[in-house]
Amino acid sequence: MTTVLAAEGLNKKFDDLVAVDGVSFEIAEGETFGLLGPNGAGKTTSISMVAGLLEPDSGTVHVAGTPIRTNSTDGRAEIGLVPQELAIYPDLTGAENLRFFGRLYGMRGEELEKRVAEVLEVIGLTDRKDDLTREYSGGMQRRLNNGIGLLHRPRLLILDEPTVGVDPQSRNAILESVEELSGQGIAILFTTHYMEEAERLCDRVAIIDQGVIQAEGTRRELVSLVGKKDRISVTAGGDLTGIARAAAGLSGVTEASASDHGIEVLTSDAATLLPSLMSCFSSVGASITGVQIFEPNLEAVFLHLTGKALRD
Amino acid sequence: MGSATRIAGKDLKLRLRDRSFFIMGIITPLALAYIFHLVFGNAFAADSLELEVGLVDLDGSQVSQSLGEVLSAMDSEGILVLSEFDDVTAAEAAVESAEVGAFILLDAGLGEAAATGRPFTIQVVGDVDSPTSTQVASSIASEFGSAVERAQLSLATAVGLGQGQPPPEELAAWGQEAAQRPPSFTFTDVSADTRQLDANTFFAAGMAVFFLFFTVQFGVVGILEEKQGGTMARLLAAPISHASVVAGKAILSFALGVISMTVLMVATHFLMDAQWGPPLGVALLVVTGVLAATAIMGVIAGAATSADGAANLGAIIAVTLGMLGGTFFPIGQGNEFLARLSYLTPHAWFMRGLADISGGAEWTAALPAAGALLLFSVVLGAVAWALLQRKLGT
Repeated sequence: MTTVLAAEGLNKKFDDLVAVDGVSFEIAEGETFGLLGPNGAGKTTSISMVAGLLEPDSGTVHVAGTPIRTNSTDGRAEIGLVPQELAIYPDLTGAENLRFFGRLYGMRGEELEKRVAEVLEVIGLTDRKDDLTREYSGGMQRRLNNGIGLLHRPRLLILDEPTVGVDPQSRNAILESVEELSGQGIAILFTTHYMEEAERLCDRVAIIDQGVIQAEGTRRELVSLVGKKDRISVTAGGDLTGIARAAAGLSGVTEASASDHGIEVLTSDAATLLPSLMSCFSSVGASITGVQIFEPNLEAVFLHLTGKALRD
Repeated sequence: MGSATRIAGKDLKLRLRDRSFFIMGIITPLALAYIFHLVFGNAFAADSLELEVGLVDLDGSQVSQSLGEVLSAMDSEGILVLSEFDDVTAAEAAVESAEVGAFILLDAGLGEAAATGRPFTIQVVGDVDSPTSTQVASSIASEFGSAVERAQLSLATAVGLGQGQPPPEELAAWGQEAAQRPPSFTFTDVSADTRQLDANTFFAAGMAVFFLFFTVQFGVVGILEEKQGGTMARLLAAPISHASVVAGKAILSFALGVISMTVLMVATHFLMDAQWGPPLGVALLVVTGVLAATAIMGVIAGAATSADGAANLGAIIAVTLGMLGGTFFPIGQGNEFLARLSYLTPHAWFMRGLADISGGAEWTAALPAAGALLLFSVVLGAVAWALLQRKLGT
């Protein structure tokens, strides 16, 4: 796949504070890449350098092969930025906001009007397009904020904590639209401190803390990196000790033990193990009443890598 | 440039929509000018200010001495303070040092001219920073000149009668002929410095230029508002230069300033009978004045760290410069130091420019003041440009 964004060796200091230290990553076409870290980890500084808002002390950013610099407009049209703060004009209507930013990206006339209508449809604001945005709900404002970033059909969309402060319904709508955009081939750089968003949306995740990328990869790669296992919790009756012993003999089982109401099994891949585990339980006469799979999550990985919880 | 005008257009729409421009740029200055006009319309009357008028009588005739007597009587009644000088040099030095606000010069030969009907000239030399004294001296000189003219006319008629008793119809013809003679009296302004704004125009112009500084703030301070509001990140991420953003804000400031001044000039002309002067000269002063105001407010926006901070600092600067620049009252009246200090403000140059083109002067009389305003614009504009560009990079 074509690389859309290549950030290499980004460094940024503010006085004595090292905000970003040697950050490098790449994003391919159609890929959603997450920067996961707590507030103050360096996520916004990193994307500010990627978007050309902030000049790195050292390091380079290329979008679609074009170097991005603060003092140049080259490559900017390939980037769509959705800032963390609402970046809309409250005394303009939704359509006026979209038209204004569209014109800054060189869109004109019928092309602009058509695209504005499309984006309004995508963000579900067609019915409210002529209302001043100060009259919108928080979720509607956030949707418009995201829509402006999409208007000019960027190849790279940067979403900086796009769900902060929105209601669950709008949040879900935003996440769905990001999934849809990824399917359309747009490269997405997504920052969040919500582990579940990163897990749901991102093909790859970089865990960032104190300006340094601690680890990077798919969710499974990150989990395996720190040795975490999937856990299968089976609620069952019968000779639990015997059942556990039988399960422990299966290939792929790391550990199996009896608990108060069933069996706990640790494995590196729950999905692969589950069919053979069920057959085993059946063969030893266990009466199974429930099965739950617990995959290790990024929260645990973050805790392991940084020694602190994600929301610290 | 296209991006800059698009940003300016968007901001203009926002300003017109939130009504802040109408309140600060039009309604408030217009209301205050009108109130000042009603309350202080006679503030320029002689008894409300110390009027220091000089007299140089190089003629020494009975006719010229009569003016001295009139002025002495006014001095005795406390209407003005009269200083008499032996020569023009001494009188000019007194004006220069602000000992007197203006002096009346009666040239040698005035008495003879009055007796023979020859043309004569009375000059008034005034300090531009003592508009009231100069205006009063001009009025007195003008009235005195008219009196001398009437005396000439009477004399001419009497001489005609002395040639014998003419028939009634011939007498009437002499009278007509005398009345139709070209005026022998000319009242001369020796320089534009002597020209004054009338009270109506003074208050209209004063309030207009005072609030101009608040009005243009809406443009340049918008940079800080957009930074705080989050939209600046989006502007800077777009494929437009930083210069376009700063230029867009400056264009808005300029447009709001020109709109405000134009509306105020038209409104005060019809509401208060303000006489702004020749349109070309006024336009020149308005354009350079708005540029200077934009430059000063641009420096403040570039130096401030927040929109509120810029607004507060801008208000302090605008009020201080406005007061010092004589937008509320002629601050230089009788105080040379303040008079000179006032020229550190664009306000003073704007008011002076308007005074220079008042009273039927050519528009070119505005050029010195417009030049000074342009100098403010260029020097401070360059500083503002650098500061605001730097602000966008951080």
